[in-house]
Amino acid sequence: MRNIILAATLSISALVGLSNAQAVEVKDLNQLQGAERERILVEGARKEGKVVMYSAMIENQALRPLKEAFQKKYPFIEAEFWRADTRDLINKALAEARARNMVVDVVEGGGVSEALLRANALEPFKLPGSARLPAAMIDPKGFWVATRVSYFGMGYNTKLVPENEVPKTYQDLLDPKWKGRMAWTAEAETGSATMFISFIRGYMGEAKAEDYLRELGKQDIANITASPREVVNKVMAGEYAIALNVFLHHPIISAKQGAQVSSQPMDPILGNASVMVLAKGAPHPHAALLLMDYLISPEGQAVIQKADYFPADPTLEIEPSVARIVPSKNGMNMYFLSEEELFKSRAKSIDLQKKYFRRR
Amino acid sequence: MDSSQVGRTKAGSQDHVSPWTISLVAILICLVVPPIFYLLKTSVYTTEADGSFGVFTLENYTSLFESGHTLEDLVNSLIFAFGSAVLAISGGLLQAWIVERTDAPLRQYVFLVSIISLGIPHVLYTGAWLLILGRNGPLNLLLMALTGSNQPVFDVYSMTGMILIEGMLWMPLAFLLMGNVFRNMDGAFEDAAMMSGASLLQTLRRVTLPLSTPGLLALFLLIFIRAFEAFDIPALIGGVGDVMVLSTQIFASIRKELPSNFGQAGSFSMVLMCIVVFLLWVQRRILARGDKFQTVTGKGYRPRIKQLGRWRFFATGLLGLITVLLLVLPLGMIALISLVPFYDGLSEAMLSRISASNYILAANNPHFRTAVFNTLLYAFGTATFVALMTTGSAWMSARRMRGSLLLEQLTSAPLAFPAIVLGVAFMQTFLNMPFAIYGTLISLVIASTVQYLPYGMRFSHSAAMQIHRELEEAGASAGATRFQIFSRIVLPLLMPVVLMSWLFVVLLCVRGVALPILLAGPNSQVVSVMLYDLWVNGQVNELAAFGIIWSALMIGIGVCLYMLSRKTGVRL
Repeated sequence: MRNIILAATLSISALVGLSNAQAVEVKDLNQLQGAERERILVEGARKEGKVVMYSAMIENQALRPLKEAFQKKYPFIEAEFWRADTRDLINKALAEARARNMVVDVVEGGGVSEALLRANALEPFKLPGSARLPAAMIDPKGFWVATRVSYFGMGYNTKLVPENEVPKTYQDLLDPKWKGRMAWTAEAETGSATMFISFIRGYMGEAKAEDYLRELGKQDIANITASPREVVNKVMAGEYAIALNVFLHHPIISAKQGAQVSSQPMDPILGNASVMVLAKGAPHPHAALLLMDYLISPEGQAVIQKADYFPADPTLEIEPSVARIVPSKNGMNMYFLSEEELFKSRAKSIDLQKKYFRRR
Repeated sequence: MDSSQVGRTKAGSQDHVSPWTISLVAILICLVVPPIFYLLKTSVYTTEADGSFGVFTLENYTSLFESGHTLEDLVNSLIFAFGSAVLAISGGLLQAWIVERTDAPLRQYVFLVSIISLGIPHVLYTGAWLLILGRNGPLNLLLMALTGSNQPVFDVYSMTGMILIEGMLWMPLAFLLMGNVFRNMDGAFEDAAMMSGASLLQTLRRVTLPLSTPGLLALFLLIFIRAFEAFDIPALIGGVGDVMVLSTQIFASIRKELPSNFGQAGSFSMVLMCIVVFLLWVQRRILARGDKFQTVTGKGYRPRIKQLGRWRFFATGLLGLITVLLLVLPLGMIALISLVPFYDGLSEAMLSRISASNYILAANNPHFRTAVFNTLLYAFGTATFVALMTTGSAWMSARRMRGSLLLEQLTSAPLAFPAIVLGVAFMQTFLNMPFAIYGTLISLVIASTVQYLPYGMRFSHSAAMQIHRELEEAGASAGATRFQIFSRIVLPLLMPVVLMSWLFVVLLCVRGVALPILLAGPNSQVVSVMLYDLWVNGQVNELAAFGIIWSALMIGIGVCLYMLSRKTGVRL
């Protein structure tokens, strides 16, 4: 018993001591600039020897190549990446913070910043490289920087939807001929029905939005309980004709492989950024900053782009095949749903989803 | 320490609580009580923005009863659980009876089929069935051709679809456990009935089934409870069809807030735990007169095999049909989609796209290899701990030794936890430990040991119940200590069951998702979570290729054990 108490006391004091020391350290690191910053970060990271990131990026597509490329640049840092969806990323990081047993340094994904910020689990940070990004991609308070952007819209089965009947506007979706033939995901955070409803409310205003949603609710949209990618798969498999609010580039990738599917952007295109945040009390702050530097560097962004994501850096050239779904290239407007708006509108959007799109 | 020494010093003191019982109880308390404590606390506290406990509240309970849908959800849950249990047990019972009591050709392979189908990960199995029964699947295409309808005829996203798939998921377990019951039953009763002129069906109805009541009831309760609290099938299927059950309704409430609010899940689980405690109490009452069911005696007890005559081919046909449904169809579907880059319905064009590219991707993925290694380590570890703990507990419980009631309750309590809640409870427990255990494989093994204790217990308990006291009394009058009685008489009799329960827990571990998804860290990823991620990401075709390779490995393990059991004479 005495041993247990001793161990507990020791570890608590060690943990408290550790987190205090680090809170000061990141603040200091944020003051550094230029070659001195690089030198101190590399020196510190060498001692830390490791960095842990929880991310929503797909493992084999993105996380593995990122790990390889990052470790090639910094062979003395072992990068550990773990993939999960937004909700699990948040829950896991919070659980660690609460137990004062931080395993994670960096969390990356859509919608991860607000919940963690409210829980006071984040540390502000400065990245010199973020100067290259548009203003909307950086948190003015310094808690997050965007890593990638996603565009959402409609996907359709080209066999089931003739070219001349393809819905082109949000109003077209109310046509009774699509009743019972559309699907979206009910569960995921990004690309879900909830996100679509938040977007419609932000874009049309509450009153008009509710009129629109009421009408759309009569269309009996199937609530798929998987990712937006799976909704596209179901449309490809011919189970439904139209996929709503999916990642616009997914149908394009599948069409290249010969699938009878295509995507149709609608004006305005819903855009949303995935961001990275630094955990308060991160065990490897130096390596974490180097990793975050890397993720928004031209090299890192190129790896992300190669993994079929749209980089946050707009100067990277976009492949011609997907240019038609990117707002700045196809002449359409973008409605950008920020981290804050996404988080704030969530509860009411879920209520509206239940009211109009669930059978009971 | 020489354990037999301990047994000897305690010889003859049957009225004392043995140190074995005490240490077993102590270990179980350490394993089972912390998550229960955390669960209770979760249910009566609000959740703060950082996920920590806020203030005391009863709102999680009152809102449960205020919601107008709670009753409807409860009824749906009951229908779903009942339907799944009945389907699983009917299929399992039929197979077990044919295999254990008849001379139907090829019947010995049903065991292998069950092991293999238990080894197919849930996600893969459900995905395959959703494609087969889906709106554009072969079943609906067939039905549409037959009825001339241009709309899908069968809606898999319904209560019927849910029960069908959940029931089939549990059928192999039902078969394994029922086979066990039949095998350990004294065949003399059935032989006597047949000799007295009873027909095959009369014997089955009047002798075989009544005698297997304890096993049957325990099995029914097990599957009923698991289906009652199941989350994956109701979410994947019922979610689409808006057939809500309690667990999915609770999940919706968890989902509503970010970070997740587990308070409601906590209150749900507490209610569920009360229901389960009640069910267990009922079961105990029914089994109170245990002697009635002690059919394993000192006499030769291998039952006689019924000669079915021409009907034996019919019986084999039935087994074949079940095999097709449980294994051939879903595995075939998975194999098919593993060979194409995407699935757009069965067509000729599909054949032209066949390639091995998904397999090449899978083979070149170093994560997959690590995950396979982790998974095997995790599953073998968990199964070994479960076997160690439940064998002794089951015997003590069957003999109603002092402290056995506590043992039984401790090993049964985890039944009341939906896996996802158990995962959360253990995550909190591990995070609050003064040493770094969270995110390790060991943490996964500990949590899963608790999760699967009831399964090991059900296996061992029904077997221990059937061992007649007279064998042990004979041992005692020959001067054996209690430990000697256990190790020399009881354990050898239980061994086939222990081995089987070990194997079964391995297969459960291999396909469980809910626990590892919360507890595994970056260095302890397991295959089931990897497959689940692929599903969530919609990479179904890669998932299928991984799944086929994984299932092949499971088949390998199954065949090894099957051969081992034949060689050693320990019948599985």
